[in-house]
Amino acid sequence: MKTDVIQLFENPYLALGVTIAVIMAYLSVNAIMLIWLERKLSARIQRRIGPQRGPFGLMQQIFDMGKLLSKELLTPEHANKLLYVIAPILVFAPVVALSSLFPITSTYIFHDFNIAIVLILAISGINVIGIFLAGWGSNNKYALLGAVRSVAQNISYEIPLILSVIPIVMITRTMSLYDITLAQGTYPFVLVQPIALIIFIISATAETNRAPFDIPEAESELVAGFHTEYSGMRFGLFFFAEYSNMIFACALATVLFLGGWRGPFLPDAVWFFIKVYALIVLMMWFRWTFPRLRFDQLMKFAWVVLVPLSLINLLITTLVLKIV
Amino acid sequence: MLEQAVIYTFVALVLIGGFMAAFSRQILYAIIGLGISLLGLAGLFLNLGSPFVAAMQVLIYIGGITVAIVFAMMLSIAMSIRPPDPDTRKLGFAIACAVIFFGAVAHLIRGAQFQEIASPASEKAWSVGALGHALLTHYNVVFETLSLVLLLAIIGAILIARKAST
Repeated sequence: MKTDVIQLFENPYLALGVTIAVIMAYLSVNAIMLIWLERKLSARIQRRIGPQRGPFGLMQQIFDMGKLLSKELLTPEHANKLLYVIAPILVFAPVVALSSLFPITSTYIFHDFNIAIVLILAISGINVIGIFLAGWGSNNKYALLGAVRSVAQNISYEIPLILSVIPIVMITRTMSLYDITLAQGTYPFVLVQPIALIIFIISATAETNRAPFDIPEAESELVAGFHTEYSGMRFGLFFFAEYSNMIFACALATVLFLGGWRGPFLPDAVWFFIKVYALIVLMMWFRWTFPRLRFDQLMKFAWVVLVPLSLINLLITTLVLKIV
Repeated sequence: MLEQAVIYTFVALVLIGGFMAAFSRQILYAIIGLGISLLGLAGLFLNLGSPFVAAMQVLIYIGGITVAIVFAMMLSIAMSIRPPDPDTRKLGFAIACAVIFFGAVAHLIRGAQFQEIASPASEKAWSVGALGHALLTHYNVVFETLSLVLLLAIIGAILIARKAST
């Protein structure tokens, strides 16, 4: 019924190469298009027109890419050269590695992994270290402050994020994303776990450092936070990582709560991407609607509101599952 | 051949990371070394055929412990001060302890009668379900004792921190 890339190509190395190529190509194009979408959307929300070069302003992104690619890669004199260069890679690499786990269609998947959720939660934590090394390696006080904030924020919001995923695992008794999608045959889990979805979206917004949780890169306080000292494509890599993390979080929410590829009439992949991009538009809408939180408000919200709420949700789910 | 190379790469990661963690004068490098070492360990678990344990290793030790150490370090002055020069007496004591511990472990390993057990018939034997079942039935007492020890460590850390601040 389902075919993964290894069965398709009958050669694990070829399958690996094709998977990485497809994911890298998709994530690059996706990041470029999402930046365009974000600029157009923010323009609409603020009653502006937004970029206008080419049809729908699409050429603007091509020019921006050319600019980023041709810029000189500056390294600050007193920066720690090795950490400074490694950090952007460390921030971007986890998303690329994890994107192969998502079942986009019911027939062709990259790979169905029986502990996919544990793997996702484990490896997505690595980019915190990348952000910290970026801030520390730059030898810049704004960068370091941004990194400190980012680590604190990521640790705090990772807990409600994990706690909001656990009820789904308890209901389906599986950690494979493919099987979780299959389990949502009659109804998507958003109907039984609406609170978990809300907690997940809020935590994911915080994990991706986006407004109203963009304290690590608050431009009015910290220049650009942890990537203040980065230029050219190294800065571009942080940008790619942010938009790739967004699509990653939205894809995870789609699989866990919205039924993944499931939907009437249209082909599987179309439904999957409709749901993912709807969530992305929602996250962009947040960014241009809500003001930035203060740091103490941010921490308090995570520990006083989200963690207890997700624990209560977990408890109720346990009781209901025990009774039913 | 390729498998051997992969195993030795992971072993090298563990050793290099360990050396970095133990001998670097800069505390951040020590933490990075610890992270590299733990990553190598996760790779070894993966190689032994248990992706779940490898993923947990990454989740808890790299995503949790290493990040927590980084976090604690950021809030202290440890990052900006120069570490004191090594004390030869302490160094000698540490080396002696390390040699004795290494000797004891090496002796135990050399004396142990390892039996080659057949690799588990199916992936089921190593599955998450089997592990969870074993932890909550057969190894229940060990499991609970470990969590109690962790709780004690947390309470102890809080007590020490409070005493230092007052």
